[in-house]
Amino acid sequence: MSVTEYDVIILGAGVAGLTAGTFLAGRGFKVALVTSGEPTACLSTGCIDVCSRNHNPLVGIKELPPAHPYHLVPGETIIESLNNFQAAMSDIGIPYVGTEKENRLVLSALGTFKTSCLVPSTMAAAPQDTKASIHIVSFAGLKDFYPSYIISRRNNSKTSVYDAGVSSTMGIASHFEDKDFLKSFIIWLKEQNIDEDTIAFPAVLGLESAVEIVKTISTSVGKPVFEIPTIPPSMPGRRLFNALKDNFRKKGGNIYWGWPVIGVEKSGKIIEAVTTESKGRPNSLNGKAFILATGSFVGGGLTATREAIIENVFHLPVHVPGPRDTWFENDYFSFNHAIGRAGIKVDSFLRPTETPLENIFVCGGILADTEILKYGCGHGLALATAHVAAKSCMEYIR
Amino acid sequence: MNFEHCIRCTICVENCPVMRANPDFPGPKQAGPDAQRFRSDREKAEDKWVLLCCQCKRCVISCPCGVEPAEIILKAQQRYGLEHPRTAAHLLFANNYYLSALGSLLAPVANIVAATEIGKKIFRAMGIATYIPFPKFRFRTLGSEKKSRTRAIKKVAFFYGCFINFYRPDIGRKIISLLSSFNVDVVLPPQWCCGLPALGNGNLALARFFAQKNAASLSNYIDAGYDIIYSCTSCGHTISNDYPDILKIPQAKKIAENTYNIHEYIVKLMDEGYIKPQFQEVRQKLAYHIPCHLRALGIGYPAAKLMSLIPGLECEILDDNCCGLSGSYGFKKSNEPTAISIGNRAVARIMKTGASAIVGDCGSCRMQLGGLSGLTTLDPVEVLSESLGIRHIQLKSAPP
Ligand SMILES: Cc1cc2nc3c(=O)[nH]c(=O)nc-3n(C[C@H](O)[C@H](O)[C@H](O)COP(=O)(O)OP(=O)(O)OC[C@H]3O[C@@H](n4cnc5c(N)ncnc54)[C@H](O)[C@@H]3O)c2cc1C
Ligand code: SF4
Ligand code: SF4
Repeated sequence: MSVTEYDVIILGAGVAGLTAGTFLAGRGFKVALVTSGEPTACLSTGCIDVCSRNHNPLVGIKELPPAHPYHLVPGETIIESLNNFQAAMSDIGIPYVGTEKENRLVLSALGTFKTSCLVPSTMAAAPQDTKASIHIVSFAGLKDFYPSYIISRRNNSKTSVYDAGVSSTMGIASHFEDKDFLKSFIIWLKEQNIDEDTIAFPAVLGLESAVEIVKTISTSVGKPVFEIPTIPPSMPGRRLFNALKDNFRKKGGNIYWGWPVIGVEKSGKIIEAVTTESKGRPNSLNGKAFILATGSFVGGGLTATREAIIENVFHLPVHVPGPRDTWFENDYFSFNHAIGRAGIKVDSFLRPTETPLENIFVCGGILADTEILKYGCGHGLALATAHVAAKSCMEYIR
Repeated sequence: MNFEHCIRCTICVENCPVMRANPDFPGPKQAGPDAQRFRSDREKAEDKWVLLCCQCKRCVISCPCGVEPAEIILKAQQRYGLEHPRTAAHLLFANNYYLSALGSLLAPVANIVAATEIGKKIFRAMGIATYIPFPKFRFRTLGSEKKSRTRAIKKVAFFYGCFINFYRPDIGRKIISLLSSFNVDVVLPPQWCCGLPALGNGNLALARFFAQKNAASLSNYIDAGYDIIYSCTSCGHTISNDYPDILKIPQAKKIAENTYNIHEYIVKLMDEGYIKPQFQEVRQKLAYHIPCHLRALGIGYPAAKLMSLIPGLECEILDDNCCGLSGSYGFKKSNEPTAISIGNRAVARIMKTGASAIVGDCGSCRMQLGGLSGLTTLDPVEVLSESLGIRHIQLKSAPP
């Protein structure tokens, strides 16, 4: 009786890896997910960008350049992946609002709008126009959140400051989980006699119970309440990560934390096992198929050296967008840096091309030609390609 | 470990239980890689707040860049410990082994003192928190049990650690019974405290002293063909990770290569086909609190795998929370509010599962969570033994 044989080993605990893992575990496969650390989802706004280039994300996807990996995903699979995501999140208690047919606007801390497709319910009440007046509550000492940016774009809006006794995002979010703190906060909020249409907060309204906290505040003051995403530490990003992780576990998936894959065992065209670093014996896990979801540069899937770009685990050939001096534009904030196209080229099964290896499937940010920043397609592309990779994996194993 | 690899993503900050509970602690990013750029050998260490870190290693596990903030902080703690006079509580807990050994000899007296109001006052005066029942010292320690002698092929030397030795020798005996039922020969090698309490209290010299003695003993057994097993995940983490790293023990690599978590070892026996345990139904819903150091060991959750084979057993894995006690950390009065706040968060999550009992590999986690929740706590070995109907082997004990 083998207890450690898995059908599928997933590399990476990002939106892509966890989604592929949940899909497979939910269909009875034995799945292990290994990860070196926590994913970029924790740094994100928690909003699911599908394609922000067009008001209708599905139309936007059709307009993407031919090399874009979205074109490898059948239209119905994109919709299926978003529906599965929304159903799972409602189940786990952090519902997402929105549909695949139209993008929504999310008010940013700068007062501008971010375009996204599915947004956490705690951001649902954000105004979709520039006219509605907003009362922005900020917190004494909280860094990187300045209501005056928003007010400079909306002169009918106001702000007030609450002293939570702590000033870090984590600290304030923890306080909100405390019922007595919430009670006295609401008393204070009522005393502000707010006239504006809606009330906005930086996204610090709790970690585990954010949905209820937003509801409680909203019913107490009788006004719509919403969160504005902050730079990391990002509570909505962490809530998303936690929910995906819990969902994967609920379906029977196993997670190996602190498990950076540093080596592989091969036999011909087949990968048999992956190994991690350890102070003692090599730790390895066997699987029939492997899903590579280690992300791009920030996630740790790719490393750029002076001369080349390396895929860190299987040393798969990496599509490089040209000689090094063309990787970056002069404008630091440009969305067009060519390096955004670096990654792994795949076929329609999301199997890497130009390699003899047969049982690896690739999904998420590590794919070539994603240009995630430019097209606003981070988590959405991860959800969609994870579904394709998982299905290919199923077919391969059968 | 390289502090320069930090990209300041703050993922570690989100994972730090202490930072969430105690605003005086600047968190792993600032206390680790950020402050490291300003630490100099030529200046006295003034970063007293490094002592607030409970060494749960959650920052290490979560960091996507391999920075290991806890290891940077651990070194800063050792340095601070060297350069500053220690409090009574630090000295006491660093010497936990001797204290417990003494307590074990004087068990009846020690228990009475610890239970009385005056006893509690004495402990408080020394800076020891008393909010959960202080572990009761047991009279007969496992170290004084005779070696178990059954004829078998697989041979293991059991590093039982202080908790089992001084507080719960019954669990140690259950482990021996369980392994014996699998036809594994278990011996109890000469051993001392693993050294973690000394390390956690800034006493590198004492930690190294213990580590060297253990390493010499364990290394002998490995040479004689034994595998080493441990049950306490913190001892296991110290032996496998701190012996080679911060303590620089010469035999550390050999030891790490041959040391197994007890459940990891059982899984290995199953994978090799050495045993085919027939798990019987256990109708219970358990909340499995994963000790931080099990997570940090990077071996997955082998006990969860075994328990998942038990028919009827529902076992929900909870690994998002530290228990807050962190060995001796929460016993220090100054850390008490932090420890309680962290622990209550873990308990709130456990209560959500509706489980009737808590299962966990680490004795001090169980003490904390049982104390704060009022629920029964179990070692995974107790659950496995029940399912396998293992009868408790009566070992003859040496006279006390
Ligand atoms: C700062 C930032 C903000 C973003 N904000 C948004 C947003 O608001 N909305 C949105 O839709 N998208 C956003 N994105 C993009 C989005 O996060 C990703 O594109 C998407 O989630 C896909 O991630 P992934 O699962 O492919 O990989 P990642 O999230 O990068 O995760 C990779 C995982 O692999 C693990 N890993 C890496 N190497 C190894 C190894 N050798 N062995 C084992 N494990 C390994 C990592 O530890 C990590 O867990 C943002 C990205 C960044 C960087
Ligand atoms: S130590 Fe690691 S997790 Fe923490 S901020 Fe630096 S890179 Fe991020
Ligand atoms: S080891 Fe634990 S307490 Fe210490 S900094 Fe890291 S996460 Fe925080």
